[in-house]
Amino acid sequence: MRNLPAHVLVAASILALIVLAVALSPWITPHSPAAQDLGARLSPPGGDHWLGTDHLGRDTLSRLLEGGRFSLTIAALATVLTGVIGTAVGVASARRRGWLDEFLTRTNDVFLALPEMVLALFLVALLGSGYPSLLLALTVAGWTPFARLARALAYDVSARGFIEAARVLGCTPRFIVMRHILPHLAAPLLGQATLRFGQLLISVGALSYLGLGVQPPQSDWGSMLAAAQPFALRSPLAILAPGLAIFVVALCVTLIGQHLVRRSTTPLAPTSPALEVRNA
Amino acid sequence: MMLFLARRTATLGVSVLLASFLVFLIPYVTPGDPARKIIRSRVSGEVVDEATVQALTLQLGIGDPLWTQYLRWLGRFGSGDMGLSYTSRTPVVEQVLPALWITLSMVVATLGAAALVSVLLGTAAALQEGRLADKAITTVTQAFIAIPEYWLAPVLVLIFALKLSVLPSAGWAGPASAVLPVTVLALRPISHFTSAVREGVLDALSAEHVVAARSRGLGRRKTVLKHVLPNGLLPLTTLAAVWFAGLLGGSVIVEVIFAIPGMGRLLYDAVLNSDIPLAQGGVVVVVGLAVVLTTAADLVHRLLNPRMRAHHA
Repeated sequence: MRNLPAHVLVAASILALIVLAVALSPWITPHSPAAQDLGARLSPPGGDHWLGTDHLGRDTLSRLLEGGRFSLTIAALATVLTGVIGTAVGVASARRRGWLDEFLTRTNDVFLALPEMVLALFLVALLGSGYPSLLLALTVAGWTPFARLARALAYDVSARGFIEAARVLGCTPRFIVMRHILPHLAAPLLGQATLRFGQLLISVGALSYLGLGVQPPQSDWGSMLAAAQPFALRSPLAILAPGLAIFVVALCVTLIGQHLVRRSTTPLAPTSPALEVRNA
Repeated sequence: MMLFLARRTATLGVSVLLASFLVFLIPYVTPGDPARKIIRSRVSGEVVDEATVQALTLQLGIGDPLWTQYLRWLGRFGSGDMGLSYTSRTPVVEQVLPALWITLSMVVATLGAAALVSVLLGTAAALQEGRLADKAITTVTQAFIAIPEYWLAPVLVLIFALKLSVLPSAGWAGPASAVLPVTVLALRPISHFTSAVREGVLDALSAEHVVAARSRGLGRRKTVLKHVLPNGLLPLTTLAAVWFAGLLGGSVIVEVIFAIPGMGRLLYDAVLNSDIPLAQGGVVVVVGLAVVLTTAADLVHRLLNPRMRAHHA
């Protein structure tokens, strides 16, 4: 906690508050998120409904808290999946070298060139919409930045003296990777993962907004936004609230991620400009 | 460099072939009889008669080995015959080309606007380094990457189209209808471009020839215009090429929200309607363009940054 810049501290506090509220949503929502009150449709904020109601008279605040569970969980799962797969591929690439490295790096180039959204649309077309294909689409499209970073870092670490020493002492390659290489990758990869989480949150929302992600009766921030849009004029808060939730979380996460990246290592020379774009 | 070029070209070819093969497989791996789906994309109208299906299966060679079918499909595709759309019953090419034109013009307008704004903001920030203006510009433009397009777009429509009635809320007809989609689409590139320009200008400001120009007595404005900007803007060229590719695919959501009949919208409709031939044509064209642009950006990046060659082969 020492030497933490003020804006990072603020971002972390806001993020913690939101995550806590969303995690506790089954117990703290003022109304049932699914309960319809057709007499009080599109009511403005105030009184019983702090953020007003949607077109079916459901409490916006309660739906926001409940919907956050899907948005944040899917984004977190996708971050972890892409992080683990990407790191495994990157480390394997750097340790084995030779044809495997060449093959994995070229595969990475291929995936990096495919537009994320088109890939996701394509996979949803193949597998049908819903929770599992959403996750699969984000994973297939998103592992490349981690693999690039992990490979570059593992390459640099492998060249250092203590790895040579460990090998001379008779450590198995597995031990070297687990004990000496991965710990050195942890900090920069964590920074990368934090930044990616923010982007994935926006992507999850985008796919749900398009009706390709979370399916009714479940809802997340993206699908809430889409459902509220026809009634924007009568009840602007219904579209402002879920979008603001995504924006605030993504912004906080980005600020924290940028801090982690800056602190963790000297920046590596990026290998491809496309990667910088996907990393951002 | 030659090795790099060869590798890159090979990767480019493999990407496009891989994408086209996956796309070719769609009718075979989705539920339903592949023969009927393929026939539907070749012959106008749905074929229901079993005897006709059998005759056409034979005639179109649908029973042949997959490889032969793929090569034949690729050959037809390459010569511009992408089959017939299920929904409109017209050739896919006739739908893809106008849509591509619309998306390309939107992307070019977006990149142009983003570059203009970023050069102004980035240069201003660099010249004021560390001061309030720099901090304000950096913070605000960095926040742009966290703004979801599907949130900003409805909010802008609400304000400018519904409340103020100064701009159209949807469609693609004339410059007025381009203002909102281009604004929404430009925010993320602006965020990246601005920080790239700022870094580039800062680098250039401390370069020896700039210091020399200043000590020769050249004015600040002239130094910046003649010596700093040309070098400071170099990073923007590669970045713009990559973003070109990114926006081609990333325009889906903006085109859907603003009802713009471009490539993103075409792909989205094709997926929703299970219009296989249209989706095939759209994906191959977008991916092909994106891959070519990304490779071009990589090459330019290499040429401009000789230091990188040593770092990663």
